[in-house]
Amino acid sequence: MSGLRFKKTTEFDEEVYAVHPDDYRGLLEALKGEGLDYPRSLSGVDVGYGLRVVVHLYGIENGRKVTVFTDLPYDAPEIESVTDLWPGLEWFEREAYDLFGIRFKGHPDLRRILLEEDWTIHPLLKRYDTGGYPLPDWRPAPWPEPAPWEEPEAAGEGGEA
Amino acid sequence: MRGPTTVEPVPGRTDELIINMGPQHPATHGVLKVVIGVEGERITRAVPHIGFLHRNHEKIEEARTYPQIITYTDRMDYVSGLQNELPFILAVEDLLGVEVPQRAKLIRTIFFELFRIASHLVWLGTGMLDLGAITPFLYTFRDREMILEITEKTAGARMLPNYFTFGGVRRDVHPDFFKDVAHFLDFFETRLPDYYALVLDSPVFQARAVGVGVLSRERAIARGASGPVLRASGVAYDVRKAEPYDAYPDLEFQVPTRTEGDVFARFWVRFKEMEESVKIIRQALEKVPKTGPYKGKVPPRVKPKPGARYRAVEISRGHLGTYVVSDGSERPLRVKHRSPSFANLQLIPDLFVGARFADAIAILSSLDPVFGEVDR
Amino acid sequence: MSRMPLPADRLVQPKLVGYDPTRPRPWLERLAYTLFFAALWAMVILAYGAVPALFRRFGWLSTTAGFLAYAVVEAVLAFLLAAVVALILIVVLRKYLGKVQERVGPMHYGPAGVFQTVFDALKLLGKEDFAPKRVDWLIFRIAPAIVFVSAFLLMVALPVAGGWVMADLNVGLLYIVAVSTLGAYGVVLGGLSQGNKWGLLGGFRAGAQLVSYEVPLALALLAVGVYAGSLRLSDIVEHQYGVWHVVPLFLSFVVYLVASIAELKATPFDLPEAESELVAGYNTEYSGMSFAFFFLAEFVELFLLPGFMVVLFFGGWHGPLFGLAPGSFAAGVLQSLYFLIKVAVWVWIFLWIRATLPRFRDDQLMDLAWKGLLPLALVGLLVAAFLRMFLEVL
Repeated sequence: MSGLRFKKTTEFDEEVYAVHPDDYRGLLEALKGEGLDYPRSLSGVDVGYGLRVVVHLYGIENGRKVTVFTDLPYDAPEIESVTDLWPGLEWFEREAYDLFGIRFKGHPDLRRILLEEDWTIHPLLKRYDTGGYPLPDWRPAPWPEPAPWEEPEAAGEGGEA
Repeated sequence: MRGPTTVEPVPGRTDELIINMGPQHPATHGVLKVVIGVEGERITRAVPHIGFLHRNHEKIEEARTYPQIITYTDRMDYVSGLQNELPFILAVEDLLGVEVPQRAKLIRTIFFELFRIASHLVWLGTGMLDLGAITPFLYTFRDREMILEITEKTAGARMLPNYFTFGGVRRDVHPDFFKDVAHFLDFFETRLPDYYALVLDSPVFQARAVGVGVLSRERAIARGASGPVLRASGVAYDVRKAEPYDAYPDLEFQVPTRTEGDVFARFWVRFKEMEESVKIIRQALEKVPKTGPYKGKVPPRVKPKPGARYRAVEISRGHLGTYVVSDGSERPLRVKHRSPSFANLQLIPDLFVGARFADAIAILSSLDPVFGEVDR
Repeated sequence: MSRMPLPADRLVQPKLVGYDPTRPRPWLERLAYTLFFAALWAMVILAYGAVPALFRRFGWLSTTAGFLAYAVVEAVLAFLLAAVVALILIVVLRKYLGKVQERVGPMHYGPAGVFQTVFDALKLLGKEDFAPKRVDWLIFRIAPAIVFVSAFLLMVALPVAGGWVMADLNVGLLYIVAVSTLGAYGVVLGGLSQGNKWGLLGGFRAGAQLVSYEVPLALALLAVGVYAGSLRLSDIVEHQYGVWHVVPLFLSFVVYLVASIAELKATPFDLPEAESELVAGYNTEYSGMSFAFFFLAEFVELFLLPGFMVVLFFGGWHGPLFGLAPGSFAAGVLQSLYFLIKVAVWVWIFLWIRATLPRFRDDQLMDLAWKGLLPLALVGLLVAAFLRMFLEVL
């Protein structure tokens, strides 16, 4: 896992990796090689300044619990798909695309799953209210400095942005 | 591995029939639609479509305070309603740092396992209805009624009780609770031999189930299958053992597994799970103090510290996870429910293609999806 | 098996509408269903015994006009009998399923729900008989008639007592095979004509099932004919004095039993209409009276197939006559009662099977029919032939 931009912390009993979007797939490939064979979940989160993709993994043999997340800007929510590593994440990625508009490059069948094909919005974005109408005073927050995955000079910074 | 985007008839091919199975099909347990191509009785293609019961819980929950959300989680897997509350509550308890008294943990565990039995009874009845036997349905629903009565006495509601809360349970159990539960267990153990005779030991059922819809161990893990579906394929992964919660560390129980991975194995695993649940509840009944605190100390306004927590529990259908992201306010930034039926339904193209049409019904009932949680 | 009482402090007690399940009245049920059975008996006596005896008594059968009048009256009576049989069996099935499943069954119409089917039939009569746009109209309309008429025609050949039969055909066994196969045509055509994919699949399944079970069924009937030395049903019954055919021809009986359940399209062989798989199979698009005809025919067959089983294997109307002269009207009345009791026992066993078993798969039915029943039926035929030879030599 050398050369990958990520930061590892421990929260409760899980290892949490914050990773740069470009190294997201590389890190997950490396983790898959470490025996994390069971895909628990993949979820999108609207964190106010961008979209976060969170993958929860589990090793059936070793009992390791790992959370990997990365943040994407609102204007280019694109990331590599990992369905070939864990086919079980196929519908989860479709769900994240459906509800957040995150595009997974290389996904075999990326279309809406819970909503009908003729929906135009991605309803879980914070810019919409629960009725699906745009909130007039919503503005994206500024991108955090430093980004969650960049190794800070001094230890003690939380992994969460 | 994957289906085409839609199922279109192949030009010039007249021996394949494209059928819309669902969303109003009697055996789809709600509102699943599977577009299948059949050659006579053999299925050539299958593309599942979900979302007909989508209510976007996750968006609604972002607009609610933490205690209000618990009642929404009930409504995901409405067959085992109470179990769905627990992962969310555990995650918030972790973020809050709340201690749960041992008595509350045991009460939660008793209810959790009672609802597992209730849910498996519903599955058994409807599953056998899909296979053409009407009688088990009536028997199992009558037994389930007793669990719902017990729940009603304590929690006030039957199916969606909204009973668990941060730090324990919402109110103390009814004075008759422990007696009723013991009575139910005694009664249920006299019923189990009937179910074995009607289902697992029935030669007609065995002819329909053995060797049908075989799921390999590798495929089950890679597809993220969980619960009885995973354990019937030979993986002893049970969240109650892997990351114990509530009173499970103190209780002794087996994780029934089978290696065949067919419909019969999935039925068998659920039967054994009901037996294990009875054992768990009996142990918990011995350990639980009759009186004592039922709720830990929780701040009146639930405001977890900023952070994120993923907690999982083993509900009747498998691994139910809830990912709670808190920004320090009274409302969560994001609540994500990872529902077991959602992941298990991804197996439909794997298991349906090549099976006979009647087998597809048996496979679907052995996956036991509940669409309240698939579509959320 | 113990029952759990309703908790006394339950906040909302169940509302009781029209009946009280906690206060069952078994005597009323027994009385009502005994009266039902008596009504059926009276209908059988009227249709098979009294009216023919009346016509014979006054010598009306010798004139053409008299014979035509006899035919019309008998046809009407047979239709009424079919309707009564269906009405009774439907409510008996529902009541019996209720008993098996620890619930009360129909309770609202009539004492203990005995008139439930009457109201069901009235409801079906009041429904629009809807045909979707894409059906093959002529065949869609003819198919229920074919099914019902075939069941109806079977009733003609049923001997219920000594000399009590509407048409004592000398090719009775052949007639049964031919007419019961006709009914399956109605099911196949009904399934294929309705422009619905579930109906199409149901029709396919019905066709496959028809081909599979008719062959062993015919062979089982043939074994009876060989052993009795006649195809006439009354001769076959007479041949069973002393020992019923079920003893020497046990293999053929088993084949007939399984094949007749398949013919009934009842669980575990209800593949053509498998409601959890094919929605409703061949009668998906039928409604109103067209659907009622399918339904009626099914229950008439539920009476007739055990009826023929009793005729062929269980000594038909045989029973102690208490000194009554065989052939007299009083003997006929008693014999028809014996016949009906035997049929009732078999109907009960058919219902029991239906309430207990799950459904077979289509290929398993065909496996069973071709690899299990067919060889068994052939062996049964051989046994019948050997026994016949043995008896002849004796």
